[in-house]
Amino acid sequence: MAPFTEDELKAKVHEGFIVESVEEMTEGYRKSLVVQLTVQADTELMSAPAYWMAARYAPSTNTQVSAHAIIQDELAHANIAYRLLEDIGESKEQLVYGREPHEFKHPYGFDQPLDNWADLVVATGFFDRAGITLLTDVHENTSYGPLKRALIKIGMEETFHLRHGEVWMKRLSNAGGEVREMLQRSVDWMFPMTLEWFGLPDDMKRHTGQLDYKLKGLTNDQLRQVWMSATVPLCESLGLNVPAHYDESAEHYVLDYPFPCQYDALEKHWFFEDGEISWDTVFKRWKARGPMNQRYVESIRRSRGQVAKWLTAA
Amino acid sequence: MHEAVYEVFARKERGEPLRHIGYIDAIDDALARVYAWKTYDEERWFEMCVVPRSSIIPVNRTDGPFAAAAPREERP
Repeated sequence: MAPFTEDELKAKVHEGFIVESVEEMTEGYRKSLVVQLTVQADTELMSAPAYWMAARYAPSTNTQVSAHAIIQDELAHANIAYRLLEDIGESKEQLVYGREPHEFKHPYGFDQPLDNWADLVVATGFFDRAGITLLTDVHENTSYGPLKRALIKIGMEETFHLRHGEVWMKRLSNAGGEVREMLQRSVDWMFPMTLEWFGLPDDMKRHTGQLDYKLKGLTNDQLRQVWMSATVPLCESLGLNVPAHYDESAEHYVLDYPFPCQYDALEKHWFFEDGEISWDTVFKRWKARGPMNQRYVESIRRSRGQVAKWLTAA
Repeated sequence: MHEAVYEVFARKERGEPLRHIGYIDAIDDALARVYAWKTYDEERWFEMCVVPRSSIIPVNRTDGPFAAAAPREERP
């Protein structure tokens, strides 16, 4: 039995109370934390095969090493998040090996193929920036002590990934010509992809409890603004076009395209021209998962059964 | 493959306290050392060690991840 009622715990965490054990949680708190940690763990896990398959486009042995260092970090972060889930009563075994590929909770962006070095570079520049935006907010605001501590390491390493992405975006942009066009094409599909990742706008947001239980501090729209406040100036400084700009009078970033809108995953094309669609249509697309979903999940766990059999037989 | 939880402790510099920095799952002590060193590579640690969670005996709390190792008569 939790020592607090739902309302008592919600009030306590907003006064600064830090939860340290599963015994101190209400069922509502535990459920919200499980959802948050599952999304975090699955996102880190699925970034690994996405980056791994793209690492073969690395232009040198040095860049191979840094790409694989990023992949190693992502797997370690996933492992830490699943371990946190174990301590609140979930099974890592079931989460990693027991679910269907479409049941994973990572964002749709990590169901997409990264088809060249520019895609990988922009992924580490945009997706890892989204990761840092979300996790920095969690680190600063979460009421769950073990997660707050785990995020120190994760934040340090995500910053390295981001730097890798941004440095390489600059390099490809400066190269000009076809290389720069390739970079622009990566930006074109990944910029709206990342904005969608932050989810429903605040005026449509269903109640999730993550703010009530102080598992995060900022709303979806606020997080989107934080991400754009770093990403839009970066792209502008590199002369890359992005469909968003800073509105001086409104004092925030505004989008220059219908949001949300439909996406063709095979062509990597956003249908700006077809106008705004409903979020239900977006959720349907997310639920159906993207073209690489099965391959990415299978690549994480293909040898599991075989090796387990050898070890049991031995 | 039964994995046990190991707590990871480390200090960055001489003179610093040993801090709890995380945890890993491993099937034995030898792999626990390797996984800890490879997973928590964000610093160049002066010292790192691992402790099986089951060896940690709580002194004043009966909740949280170490509670399973409480003296038998205090277990719920």
